[in-house]
Amino acid sequence: MALEEFKTSDALTLGVELELQLVSLSDFDLAEASPDMLDLLRRKPFPGTVTPEITESMIEIATGIHTRHDELLSELQQIRNTLVHAGDTLNVGVCGGGTHPFQRWSERKIFSKPRFKQVSALYGYLAKQFTVFGQHVHVGCESGDDAMFLLHSLNRYVPHFIALSASSPFFQGRDTLFNSARLNSVFAFPLSGRAPFLLKWKDFEDVYFSRMEHTGIVKSMKDFYWDIRPKPEYGTIELRVCDTPLTVERAAALACYLQALCRYLLDGGEVPPAEDDYLVYNYNRFQACRFGLDGTMVHPKTHETLSIREDVLTTLRKMEPFAEELGGVGALEHLYRAAHMGSDASFLRQQYHERGSPEGMVDAAIRRFREGLA
Amino acid sequence: MPEASPLATYVAWPFALAIAWVVGEMGYRMTGLPRISIYGLVGFLLAHTQTGFLPAGDDVGVKLLADVAFGLILFELGYRINLNWLRTNPWIPLTGLVEAAATFVVVYAVARWFETPQMASLLLASLAMSTSPAGILRVVNEQTSSGQVTERVMHLSAINCVLAVFTFKLIVGVGVFQTSGSFTEATWSGLLVVLVSIALGGLFGVLMPALMRQLGNLGRDATLGFAIGVILLVAITHAFRFSPVLATLAFGLVARHRRVILSPTQRNFGVMGDLLTVLLFFYIATTLEWATVVEGMAVALVLIAARFVTKTSIVAAFSHVSGISWRKGVLTGVALTPISVFVILLLEQTRHLGITMVEGLIPLAAVALLLEVIGPIATQRALIWANETPDATES
Repeated sequence: MALEEFKTSDALTLGVELELQLVSLSDFDLAEASPDMLDLLRRKPFPGTVTPEITESMIEIATGIHTRHDELLSELQQIRNTLVHAGDTLNVGVCGGGTHPFQRWSERKIFSKPRFKQVSALYGYLAKQFTVFGQHVHVGCESGDDAMFLLHSLNRYVPHFIALSASSPFFQGRDTLFNSARLNSVFAFPLSGRAPFLLKWKDFEDVYFSRMEHTGIVKSMKDFYWDIRPKPEYGTIELRVCDTPLTVERAAALACYLQALCRYLLDGGEVPPAEDDYLVYNYNRFQACRFGLDGTMVHPKTHETLSIREDVLTTLRKMEPFAEELGGVGALEHLYRAAHMGSDASFLRQQYHERGSPEGMVDAAIRRFREGLA
Repeated sequence: MPEASPLATYVAWPFALAIAWVVGEMGYRMTGLPRISIYGLVGFLLAHTQTGFLPAGDDVGVKLLADVAFGLILFELGYRINLNWLRTNPWIPLTGLVEAAATFVVVYAVARWFETPQMASLLLASLAMSTSPAGILRVVNEQTSSGQVTERVMHLSAINCVLAVFTFKLIVGVGVFQTSGSFTEATWSGLLVVLVSIALGGLFGVLMPALMRQLGNLGRDATLGFAIGVILLVAITHAFRFSPVLATLAFGLVARHRRVILSPTQRNFGVMGDLLTVLLFFYIATTLEWATVVEGMAVALVLIAARFVTKTSIVAAFSHVSGISWRKGVLTGVALTPISVFVILLLEQTRHLGITMVEGLIPLAAVALLLEVIGPIATQRALIWANETPDATES
């Protein structure tokens, strides 16, 4: 099956997907609750869409297509309220966070759907330890070439999104010392990492994809677990490095930050991407995962060392005019505060120290998701 | 029968337990039936009144261990109950109330139809309201099930047990009042026992987490501390003739809802819980006599059927409105079948009152024996059919 044609979208439209945790309110471990939740949610119209994920303790929601921050946020809040209400009916806690702090992968149950069962059969325990929770942001592109240009231009900003969304400090019951331990689970997959450096859609299609397909390794774009990947059937690029934040407010803010960055990059704000930019990519990504906003990164062009927090704050200021034009100023303000006050990962660690147990962290995450954050 | 030598008495119980364990494991592997059903069968066969493998007479030590085992299970059930859920989804407590009340009425009517004396019919009806938490929780843990049937069967079991104890004590209280004429004794065995037991459990629920915090156990495994608390609470309620059932249930509930600390606890109290479970289900069946079982069999079968149909239909009737499918509603009702451990221990704990009417409860022996085997199987099948157990093809 050849790659689909790149469908044209309105530039800079946004769509957000969130993978959320379903938690038992008895012991705060993950619960295999998605079949019951989906069954209940089917009874009423859902704002956006809700779908199962690979294991039964996960649920995925997606918004419609938006251009403005306030509209996107409002839909996400409606989705959240609907989910929280369903959870209340079924004694299920719903929360964000990139990992569940103490679940054991071996206890997870694969959702009964052919694709999930196939993935599980192929990847073995990797499939169950992939019970991690990410936010995916789609940005509409007018052409495949725009998509490839944006995909590669964003390489320098990937650490920003990792650090700002980081919400997975614990894994399998222990503090990992990472801010985003979730991405380590993603890197275990053979087709993870970055997309090949091709700037023209035609090249991507003919030179890369069809050859990969010929090797028999991949059948569709779904088989790639890249940090950013093009999604031709939607006419978007999809940023996949974010942990699911603890609140939908942060999720909306991250999406609109990405939107403003894309505007800035499309306007030719920066020197075009080059393959050598990726020399520092894995190191920067590691720094963001490990230290979050306190990490350092190496600028791919100048090779100077920057504090990730400083670089985020500088970029946020630079994005203001673009956000204003797109109706996303509120999003940038939210992220200013986040960059100053610390990420969700620091909030979770603080909860751990105050409450004394990973169960207490999950309880705090459930409350945070329900109550939201201005 | 000649009196057993002291040595035989000494080794008979450990041997019997070893047999129950081996048969339980083999049976589970070969048939997939719940282990606890098999322990019960073995216990019944080895009892003094059947093959006579076990010595005659009350073994106080074993009985106390069985009470502790049940106490641990009730604590764990309490620890897994979310009172907030009963508030946010009032259909759950309503289901519990209606199914328990309807079971009482139906079982009473059936018992009377078989010309059981009134007081015995009332007691039978009150006991039939309950679902044994031991059967439920063991199967849930054995199957590592998770989902709405699992959640609901635990919450409904807790509700109907509290209602059953309450009704039972009330009827016993009235019965004692009628026979002895002492109003104080009637009140004592009734409402007061219920309230004091719950208060005692609640006190433990507040004190134990606070004590563990003092001892610097924050965030560490709290299983040991809670187990010692349960043993202490069972001993105290036993000594002062309160209800260990309500006390340990309340202990678990309060310990969970106080949320002074949230700490991990091992499901089933780990290996210790597993060990005591063998003893519990085995012991319960040893108290039953073949002759009584046969005598009450006919009535028992009708009672079981009536109780099963009532519970299942009512829980199913409330299923859609409370947020689950009709199918899961029916399965929740089916999963509520176990009764034996709860009923036998409740009767054992009331024996000291010397109520002769307990002897009138002949069909109960057959009910207990049949449901000790069938009950856990019903729960297990319901959880499997509800697709709430892990897929055996995944490893």
